[in-house]
Amino acid sequence: MSAADTLADQYAAALAQRGVVLRDDFIEGARALEDVLDPADLERWASVAADLAAQSLRSWEAAQEFFKASPQVATVLPFELLMRWARVAEHLCESSPLIAAAYIRATPAALEQIPPDPDFDIGIQGEFLTEQTISKTDLDRWAEAGERLHQGNWKSIALSVLFFELSPKLLASLSMEQIDDLIDVLVILAERSYQLAQTCLEAAPDLFAALDFNDREPFLQFAAALSRASWADTRLYFERGPDLVVRIEAEQRGAFLTLASRVVQSSGRQGFPHFMETANALGMIPPSEHAALLGLAGTLARRSPVAAMAFLRSAPIVLQRITADQLAQWVEPGSRLLFDDGNIEGADAYFQLQSTRAEQTLTSLSARVELQAIHGLLRMYAKALTGASIAIRSSEDLVEKGIGWVTESMATTEGTAIFLPPFVGVYPEQQSNFQCYKVFTTHQTGRIEFGSFGYRYGIEGAYAPVSVTEREAALAPRERDALTEMERYYDLFPQRTLIASLFTIAEDTRVDAQVSREYGGIRVWLRRLQSREADRRPDVMDQGLRNAFVENLLRASLGRRDAIRWPAPLMPTLETALSALAVVEQPGATVEDAAEVAAALYDIASILPNTRRNYDDEEWEQPPADMGSEGQMPSGMGQDQREMPEGEGDEEFEAPQQPEFRGDFKPELVQLLSRLRDQQAGDDGEGMSLSREQVMDMLEKSSEVSLSEQAQGEVAASMGAFLTNLEKEAQAAAQAQKKKQQQQDGEGDADDGEENNADLPNEVTWSYYDEWDFRASDYRPRWCRVGERLGDEGTLEYYQDTLQRHHGLVVETRRQFELMRPESFRRIKKLEDGEELDLDRAIEFIVDKRAGVGPLAQIYWRRNKVERDVAVAFLMDMSASTDEEVEKPRVNERPDGNFTGDPRNYFQWLAERRSRLIAEAPKRIVDLEKESLVLIVEALEAIGDSYGIYGFSGYGRDNVEYHVIKDLGEKFGDKVRRRIDKIQPIRSTRMGPAIRHTIAKLEEYDAKVKILILVSDGRPQDHGYGRDRTEKEYAVHDTHQALVEAKRAGIMPFLITVDKEGHDYMKEMCSDVGYEVVDDIEQLPRRLTSLYKVIAAD
Amino acid sequence: MTSSFKQMAVEDFRLTSEPYYLPIADEVQLFETAYDQHIPVLLKGPTGCGKTRFVEYMSWRLHGHLNRSGNEGVPLITVACHEDLTASDLVGRYLLEGEETRWIDGPITRAVKVGAICYLDEIVEARKDTTVLIHPLTDYRRLLPIDKRGELLEAAEGFLLVLSYNPGYQSALKDLKHSTRQRFIAIEFNYPPRDQETEIIRIEAGCSVEIAGELAKLAEKVRNLREHGLAEGVSTRLLVYAGKLIANGISPRRACQTAVVWGLTDDSEVQQSIEEVVTSIFPE
Repeated sequence: MSAADTLADQYAAALAQRGVVLRDDFIEGARALEDVLDPADLERWASVAADLAAQSLRSWEAAQEFFKASPQVATVLPFELLMRWARVAEHLCESSPLIAAAYIRATPAALEQIPPDPDFDIGIQGEFLTEQTISKTDLDRWAEAGERLHQGNWKSIALSVLFFELSPKLLASLSMEQIDDLIDVLVILAERSYQLAQTCLEAAPDLFAALDFNDREPFLQFAAALSRASWADTRLYFERGPDLVVRIEAEQRGAFLTLASRVVQSSGRQGFPHFMETANALGMIPPSEHAALLGLAGTLARRSPVAAMAFLRSAPIVLQRITADQLAQWVEPGSRLLFDDGNIEGADAYFQLQSTRAEQTLTSLSARVELQAIHGLLRMYAKALTGASIAIRSSEDLVEKGIGWVTESMATTEGTAIFLPPFVGVYPEQQSNFQCYKVFTTHQTGRIEFGSFGYRYGIEGAYAPVSVTEREAALAPRERDALTEMERYYDLFPQRTLIASLFTIAEDTRVDAQVSREYGGIRVWLRRLQSREADRRPDVMDQGLRNAFVENLLRASLGRRDAIRWPAPLMPTLETALSALAVVEQPGATVEDAAEVAAALYDIASILPNTRRNYDDEEWEQPPADMGSEGQMPSGMGQDQREMPEGEGDEEFEAPQQPEFRGDFKPELVQLLSRLRDQQAGDDGEGMSLSREQVMDMLEKSSEVSLSEQAQGEVAASMGAFLTNLEKEAQAAAQAQKKKQQQQDGEGDADDGEENNADLPNEVTWSYYDEWDFRASDYRPRWCRVGERLGDEGTLEYYQDTLQRHHGLVVETRRQFELMRPESFRRIKKLEDGEELDLDRAIEFIVDKRAGVGPLAQIYWRRNKVERDVAVAFLMDMSASTDEEVEKPRVNERPDGNFTGDPRNYFQWLAERRSRLIAEAPKRIVDLEKESLVLIVEALEAIGDSYGIYGFSGYGRDNVEYHVIKDLGEKFGDKVRRRIDKIQPIRSTRMGPAIRHTIAKLEEYDAKVKILILVSDGRPQDHGYGRDRTEKEYAVHDTHQALVEAKRAGIMPFLITVDKEGHDYMKEMCSDVGYEVVDDIEQLPRRLTSLYKVIAAD
Repeated sequence: MTSSFKQMAVEDFRLTSEPYYLPIADEVQLFETAYDQHIPVLLKGPTGCGKTRFVEYMSWRLHGHLNRSGNEGVPLITVACHEDLTASDLVGRYLLEGEETRWIDGPITRAVKVGAICYLDEIVEARKDTTVLIHPLTDYRRLLPIDKRGELLEAAEGFLLVLSYNPGYQSALKDLKHSTRQRFIAIEFNYPPRDQETEIIRIEAGCSVEIAGELAKLAEKVRNLREHGLAEGVSTRLLVYAGKLIANGISPRRACQTAVVWGLTDDSEVQQSIEEVVTSIFPE
């Protein structure tokens, strides 16, 4: 009998009490251990094992695992440590047998991961220990870690069990210290949600395995910080964190995560979104820059981690505009705010790019020129050059329009607008990039100025004879008439792409030549850009012969004949072509010349085979510099009889890529568009209207349009969409034209101008305004978007009712105001110099003088013109709070309060009383505002001041609603009366942008005295109008700043509020601006008129 | 020491040599006929397009009419109108002299007496009540009542009333009364076409024809901006100034900046736009 069996017998009875299986497992374990342990040790083991099994009712589960695991553990650990392990298990079992079981079960696998402890190495402990030896402390710590998760309830037990189950994997990537950190995080999470803790724990093994060794520590550090500041985000962090972290350059991850931890400590909930955005932002920047960025961020973080994080977040945007070397220069003003001025909020705003200073610094550093910044300038420039009103737009818009132009980054025009790239950053200096824009614009205006779109079929040019009739004769008769002259011309040539490319080159050459001739100042830059483009052309020797031919022409057209490479045997052909191209460079060449030149070039190109590599590299030569520089048309058309090389594998001809400044050139579409526009505007000169089919047919031929599409069906579908877009485009233009015309007509007789635009839709026009951030002491650039729209119209009844109801008051105010109307001339007497002698005075004077009294010779009079020239804008608060009812006014109890009459009439009386009560619905603040308006309008009409009435409300910074009840220049009429009816409470009160918009309106208006009166019912407040919902200071400061701006613009602001609590914040908001708190709300109408009299008195 | 200035009574001023004027259309013929027929003339046109020069030129040119002899033109009395111009500023007033009052004729009275061309420049600037007093002078009566003296003056043979008026700043406030405007024939002036303007600049400024041409081109472009940021296009006068600066050694860009850009507007964006046009036309 083996020792194991003996022991089994010994403990069998005790173990059997806990279940038969347990005894079997014990025997199995003991037998396995026999080979490893000596009998004494085995006995000790058996006793410990039995104790474990007997420890508690359910400890058998732990014991069972113990029996199973022991043989494996014993091979790794010396017996002393085995015992120690057993004791730890026993200890765990005291709190939960399940945890103990998990611990024991996980041990063998875990032991493989726990690295040998250097303190416990062979030198001291002798040969008992193998290399696999584990430090006792580690096993203990591990157990302790798991136990820390145990909080006495079953969920915590499950968590702890899970931990031990996952431990082998965790230990593979984390050190014991790191495990402790992880447990810290889990403990905090478990306090909130076991579920959350569990999810995180489940994610942990894979997560840490994926992370680089050095990243694990900082990752945990941030997790710890996050769990404390914003525990709910931890799960997301465990899910997405590793992906985010790897975007950062490996050596900088630690620094970044440390920074993130600090941020999360100071900014709480916002911490994690910031972390995500920042990591994403860094991902957009080449990793080589990360060290420098995090270095700068590290400096900032010493004072404000938030600013440092914001800096990293803004970095991609900033780096788009300035170089990495300039970054420090951009940081400089922000860090001065931070360190010298101690303005942490200002610095935060600066680095979030929410301050004007940040924007300005960026602009001054940036070499890149943004279209937005010079948009107005270029518009006027284009207007000056062409004399036509030409819109300047970003080329992104044109592609979006879907009317046939497809390339984004280039300049182009469709006849009424010039499309330019949204920014130019080609050169390292701002000035040069601006010059690029100028060249872009000038070339495009050149197309308009020099008539690129005005091609007329069959018209003689200045140099080239017309050949279209001969060409036409050679073709089959047309199926239908061409829609445009340009189309008719293109249709003469079987190869549409080829003729379009050649015409583009010829015409662009002509335009560039004209531009250089007309605009000497632009010549230098035009050359520079042409040259730059020529250097970027694709290799000509790599192309088919015909493509190479066209490519060479394009180079010649860019003024770079030196870049031409052409097979020597074919040099005469090229010479003919270059001479033809030079024709359009002569002064006075017209678009018809260009068309003829293109036709001649076509004749040459079309017989060239489009094959590659017919010639050896040596045969490609640079032609002599002056070859074909004299303009001359080839003799005869299409009769170039020269021997052409035979080629195999003819390739399809591809239009060459256009140089950036020239961009797409689509004269046939421009002509079509302009024809559609005319048609929409109702004056189609040719008396023939275009059918959809015709247009479709023509569009299908326009080669570039179908370029991006493959399937036939798709082409048809996209054509349809495209046509709809074209029509829309033409319609919009025609409408604008009509509207303009109407306005012009209306100017003559302004009286009926009011009804003219009755059917125009209520359009919203958007304007952008800065907002004042008092913490940063700087504006947030273009922060608020104000949408101006006409007020809705109600009925006239309201206005008339109000007039009737307040008849007495209206009459009285009118009279008072009429008295204010000044005489237009006032005679000023007793002047020493003036217009005329005052004869009476003169005589008096002489008399006095004779008498020796000698008064002053004040004997002249003068007429002084006194003109009242006042413009006032009323800005009404239309916030939801104006919906509040004013306390029910004391109902004047009528004597019939109690029924006293004939009982038969009782019901009649009752009905009357009820209806009266309904009619007198309680008044709301907004009703009083409206009544005041009615009154003030009457008064102002009497005095003749110009006035505007506007209402504002909205929600959030990008949707400030601005309702025009009556514009400053608008005549008062029924429309205005109806709009007053429709004033109603809407949403919030963002006063700042509304005031700024009103300032802008008043500034445009011509008047000597300008007044802005704001009527409100409470403090300014809106979503995001302040750091958080409860903050009121921000809004008050912004409003104050807006009022200061008004004063600076020479406008007198005045605030009226019906908020009884108004005094406290009004004092701060208005400081040196006049205001009044109307205590008795019902007095508002009366008060407003009397206040106006005071304010607007000279 | 001789003083360099000349002093004379307004009615004595006449041109002794032919001023430069390049006729654009038939305005010379029209004016001559109107002068002979005693029809008052209203010159309409933007600032600096040559209205005043035209009147001067005509006053000189008309010396052959009315049997005048010598090389001297018709006397020309110019009144620049302004807001505070009153009737007595035009007609005359009593002044105190010692203990007497003395009547002083106003410019219009003098013109009526000597038969001069009376040129009221920028008439809309004057107050409407002032302009009414010229009415009797402008019809067949050719009378000027002087109520303060109880007199009535009949205009001398060579008298002609010429008004100038700039429809550019048409605002409701500053428009001519219809009763006034319908007493004149109106000759419309505009900036001359490019070729003629080139010629004018060349002669007036004494610069090369190339420079003059470029300036005229610039003018054409800048005038495109009228009503789009600019109230008025650039005047020929300013171009002549620019031409003079260039002819005397100032670089074209700089000359245009001072004479054209800054002279035209204070709006910095418009300024910049015009400057870009300047730099497009004139190389560095």
